[in-house]
Amino acid sequence: MQVSGNLLVWLLVIPFVVSLLAFWARTLGAGARRFLEAVHLIGITLLLVLTLWVIKLVLINGSLLALSGWFYADKLAAVFVLVIGLMGFLNGLYSIGYMRHDLVTGEVDRKGLSTYYGFFHLFLFTMIFTVLSNNIALMWVGVEATTLGSAFLVGLYGHKSSLEAAWKYVLICSVGVAFALYGTILVYSNSFSVVQNAHDSMLWTEIVKHARLLDPMVMKLAFVFILIGFGTKAGLFPMHAWLPDAHSEAPSPVSSLLSGVLLKCALFAIIRYYIVVGKAIGSAFPSTLLLIFGVLSIAFAAFFIFSQRDIKRMLAYSSVENVGIIATGLGLGGPLGIFAALFHAINHSIAKSLMFCTSGNILIKYGTRDLDVIKGMLKVAPFTAFLLGSGALAVAGSPPFNVFISELLTVTAGLNSGYLWLMILCLLFLLVVFAAFLRLIGEAVFGSPPENVTRGDVSFITILPIFLLFILMFGLGVYIPSPLSDLLKGAADIVLSGL
Amino acid sequence: MTGVQIINALAVLLIITSLMVVETRRPHLSAHLYSLQSFVLVLIFLCLAVFMKATPLYIWSITALITKVILVPYLIIKALEKVGDPGEPGALLSPASSLLLAALFIGLAFLIVTPFHMQAILKLKPALAVSIAHFLLGLLCILTRRNALKQILGYCLMENGSHLTLAFMAYNAPETVEIGILTDAIFAVVIMSVIAISLFRVLGTLDTDKLTLLKG
Repeated sequence: MQVSGNLLVWLLVIPFVVSLLAFWARTLGAGARRFLEAVHLIGITLLLVLTLWVIKLVLINGSLLALSGWFYADKLAAVFVLVIGLMGFLNGLYSIGYMRHDLVTGEVDRKGLSTYYGFFHLFLFTMIFTVLSNNIALMWVGVEATTLGSAFLVGLYGHKSSLEAAWKYVLICSVGVAFALYGTILVYSNSFSVVQNAHDSMLWTEIVKHARLLDPMVMKLAFVFILIGFGTKAGLFPMHAWLPDAHSEAPSPVSSLLSGVLLKCALFAIIRYYIVVGKAIGSAFPSTLLLIFGVLSIAFAAFFIFSQRDIKRMLAYSSVENVGIIATGLGLGGPLGIFAALFHAINHSIAKSLMFCTSGNILIKYGTRDLDVIKGMLKVAPFTAFLLGSGALAVAGSPPFNVFISELLTVTAGLNSGYLWLMILCLLFLLVVFAAFLRLIGEAVFGSPPENVTRGDVSFITILPIFLLFILMFGLGVYIPSPLSDLLKGAADIVLSGL
Repeated sequence: MTGVQIINALAVLLIITSLMVVETRRPHLSAHLYSLQSFVLVLIFLCLAVFMKATPLYIWSITALITKVILVPYLIIKALEKVGDPGEPGALLSPASSLLLAALFIGLAFLIVTPFHMQAILKLKPALAVSIAHFLLGLLCILTRRNALKQILGYCLMENGSHLTLAFMAYNAPETVEIGILTDAIFAVVIMSVIAISLFRVLGTLDTDKLTLLKG
């Protein structure tokens, strides 16, 4: 049963309106900061509430449709809405303290603050737009818009390096995503020849229904275009060239959103096509491609993680690795593989947000991202050191944290489908990653701190969101609440069966 | 000449103009040439509208006229005025090898369109191949040119290519879709130009080979 989903429209309207208000606030003068923070806080809170509400309705009704089918939320979309809403809230909360610090130190001025909050919410809007679009062309428009919405956030500080990162980001991603437009056009013209109705043949829900009638050759070609295009945005090797730059140069809460949320939105678009192509020509072709790109991303990223001396670049490469794990899970397929992939998408976003926010606090404390300087955190800021240590263990895939569970499930899925050697290979790469993060703990947490660093944790307001992330990270490592597992199982069903 | 012949001839003209955009040394002139080539695109939209009775393309040709013939070149020229027009520091490829690659791309594009047997586009396969080749030419421009604004023009060429493919294969799509895609395209140009200008302010050049801070 499908319920009219006005709620979906609100989910889009709120971040958009907040974004406009934040841009307008640059005219306010001295009171701008307070106004911005208030509007921002209301915005992210409403977003979280609506997100949870939408998920509840999706769990009850199966799916929601809005505006005569243009927007659509099933359990699959709900998983990604959850990631956007939850991470938008927590990173938004972290932004308040972090940007206050940047304002005090003069990294940004009042106008810069308004730019930051304006684009922050615009960025959230474009991501929600992407995952809720039922029209495949608008989904493409959404993915491209995420680049445009976040480019200024990457270049916010206006340094040579951040502008360089922003330039590479917007150019490489726009070019990459242009390939996906070809894929989109191919799928549309193919489905139009079957459905014979211009409006319907662009709707994902209709394309899936008629997937078996689509031309296999065209669908194969389309999937290659889609994977190259959205794969660029998802940060899959070898199209990831922009990622380490953009993710390390952006303000830390934005790095979190880019790594934790945006990459998943691009993966979501790939999954939508994976379903259609799987139904049209069988899943062997798309699965093999995903498996190849996935394993290559893990392999390549593992060594780059190990060789980084910049903490945020290290985390950025770790995102390539984790996107690789998700793609591998999708490629392995089956109920377990898909479940693991989707669960890993959530888990990685939590652990990576925790790490990027913590690295933000380290940046505030030490004034650098250089791992040769960041030492002895246990003596300088014990609680932050504890959070960094557990985050690093989690990202490295160690129990008792959530990432361990989904990595274990992925490997189990691989073993079940008979990929013994491939899984052993993956585990070897994960071992390299593990070693890299253990070394990070050894160097940054222990050791003796540089003399000029003052003692004490950074403010409560920057620690609170990280602590909340820690609770999620630990909680999901020991227990998956039943609404979440229902949601994930339902989403995996959709990936496997279509609707 | 029949309608199909006219459209295919215009498609060839499109390739020629796009090679001119890529090969011209002065970014300023490139921007004007881009405007010219977008005008050819508009003509193709009009022909398709007349000969294929694709009425939505009348609206497309108007929106393309406003955005691609006027607005985008205007934005690029404005950006160039802000930085002065330093010309190009030299390209990675000689004009001759660019031409050769262009020919290769057209061959490749023909290969890509061979498996299509949708009735509607059968006669226009050459033109469709040209639109895909055009997309690849834009990519070539981005990869081999070192001037940031020239790379933006390369992106615009890619965009024209995909817009033409869209016109061949999806002209009957809801108008919202075209509006969405065009809006993205314009904002992409605006944002890229703003970042390029900021880069020029801190680096003093538009040479993208000078972007070497972030490696490894």
